Amino acid sequence: MTADPTQLGIPEDAMRRLAEMRPGQATSLFTSDLSVNEFLLVREAGFRPLGLVLGSSIYHVGFQFGRWNKNQELEVLSQAMYHARELAMTRMEVEADQLGADGIVGVRLDIEFKEFGSDLAEFIAVGTAVKSDHPAPEGRTWRNNRNQPFTSDLSGQDFWTLVQAGYAPLGMVMGTCVYHIAHQRFWQAMNNIGQNVELPQFTEALYDARELAMSRMQAEAEALHAEGIVGVQLRSHGHRWGGHTTEFFAIGTAVRPLRADHHIPTPQLVLPLTD
Amino acid sequence: MTNVEGVADWDGRGLPPVAAERMRRAAEGAAWTSLLSAPAAAGLEVAGFDPAGEVMGSMVQRIGWSTYYGCGASGWYGASAQTITSGTHPQAGFAPYAHALESGWATAVGRMITEAAGIGADGVVGVRLSRQSLGNAVHEFTAMGTAVRARSATRPGRVFSTHLPGQDVAKLVLAGWMPAELAFGIAVGIRHDDWNTRQQRTWTAGNVEVGAYTELVNDTRADARMLLQHRIRAVGADGAVIASLGLSTWEIEPGEGHTDHVAEATIVSTAITQFHRSREAPSRSLTYLPLKRSRS
Repeated sequence: MTADPTQLGIPEDAMRRLAEMRPGQATSLFTSDLSVNEFLLVREAGFRPLGLVLGSSIYHVGFQFGRWNKNQELEVLSQAMYHARELAMTRMEVEADQLGADGIVGVRLDIEFKEFGSDLAEFIAVGTAVKSDHPAPEGRTWRNNRNQPFTSDLSGQDFWTLVQAGYAPLGMVMGTCVYHIAHQRFWQAMNNIGQNVELPQFTEALYDARELAMSRMQAEAEALHAEGIVGVQLRSHGHRWGGHTTEFFAIGTAVRPLRADHHIPTPQLVLPLTD
Repeated sequence: MTNVEGVADWDGRGLPPVAAERMRRAAEGAAWTSLLSAPAAAGLEVAGFDPAGEVMGSMVQRIGWSTYYGCGASGWYGASAQTITSGTHPQAGFAPYAHALESGWATAVGRMITEAAGIGADGVVGVRLSRQSLGNAVHEFTAMGTAVRARSATRPGRVFSTHLPGQDVAKLVLAGWMPAELAFGIAVGIRHDDWNTRQQRTWTAGNVEVGAYTELVNDTRADARMLLQHRIRAVGADGAVIASLGLSTWEIEPGEGHTDHVAEATIVSTAITQFHRSREAPSRSLTYLPLKRSRS
């Protein structure tokens, strides 16, 4: 940040503003859980924070009977993990829509197993609704092709860089797959004892499960007419299902180009005096 | 006032005698202490603030459950129950419990501000808040930070406070924003486990949203957010940056075969106000690449 404090009247003006503050002056208030860096960068990218938005769902995840000697997706659990997240995300988007937002930045999507019981989890989506000071280039809107506010789990810093580079976020896209890896049969396990061997059915199961999660995420991005997906994270969660059942969860931000060139100013090199 | 031995005689007004004595010494020009990190100190220096001393406020209170006013269930095994929150039902639910939490924080922060005002400071930065259980429903609320004085001719007649560290305060001030005060939104909600809820959580229920609990946490959070908005408006600020958004839930059994769930939501933030007159903030970022190892 480059600014001359004395020219800006700092801290004189700041203290005068505090002295002038009266209750109830402001017509519109915002709240935001962005960090100060993120807040300032989002402002600099030309967006104003409107308010903290959140959506939440406490969900009972069903039970699935399966054949435990077979590699298979546990569809009931996959559906639960997807549906509950979708409920939370949709509720957050509705809040943002009511505020007249163009988008939501810094979205966090968490699962917390609460004290309600072992099959119950809270799915929560929290972000900061923002509105642009300027319309998007070429007379287009910042909202996505469903006329919903865009969503993005990128940090304020990444959001700033993305917009500088001529891209706009369209929406968070996700895919999930809960997969059960077969237990080995007794004679297989006996043969493997003490040997360094690949377990082909494990390898194949993990490939299959990740592929399902990623392809579901890609399908969501295609539905938004995205050019690509940035910041993809491919997580695996054991949750509370035991060693053979794992959730593979892919999440990222689908983006579209704002202009043809994608240059950002060449970064200066700095040597920080901290770790 | 300066009788340090007479702690037990303190009537709860103003500052405890030991704290008052420390403030007197600080005001007389004793060496100042601070909780600032080096970047925080450097940042404040650039933004025109000098450290004045370390300040704290503390308050110990008992928060009992004796103030339980019922959960709003219609009939013990009735099919319907509703969520009761402290904000929308100030006379019911756990409103007195929520008020006790509020007054715990307000008193601790207030005493910290009193100390800061006592040494002629204009604000307190990097405030750390903590709540510690001392057992038997007794809790200590503590606020601790570094008091700073602005290099300005205007004295605002109030002491600002913020959870933000010095370097963040500096960045905000240079971009035309000023922290005003710590603002809290605290709400407690309660909901009776009705027949529907009990059905939704049995293991045969399949994939289903538990509507009652979802409503409980959403209503309680919504309440806390609404109270925070009221607080920011009362301060006269333009907005707030949130430090933490906490929610805890637990089960209580006020009677045989009667369970309720309670949710407690606490939002801690700093209300901020804009003082730059231009439409755009007067800052400009520099893109740079730090020459250090990346995280992974």
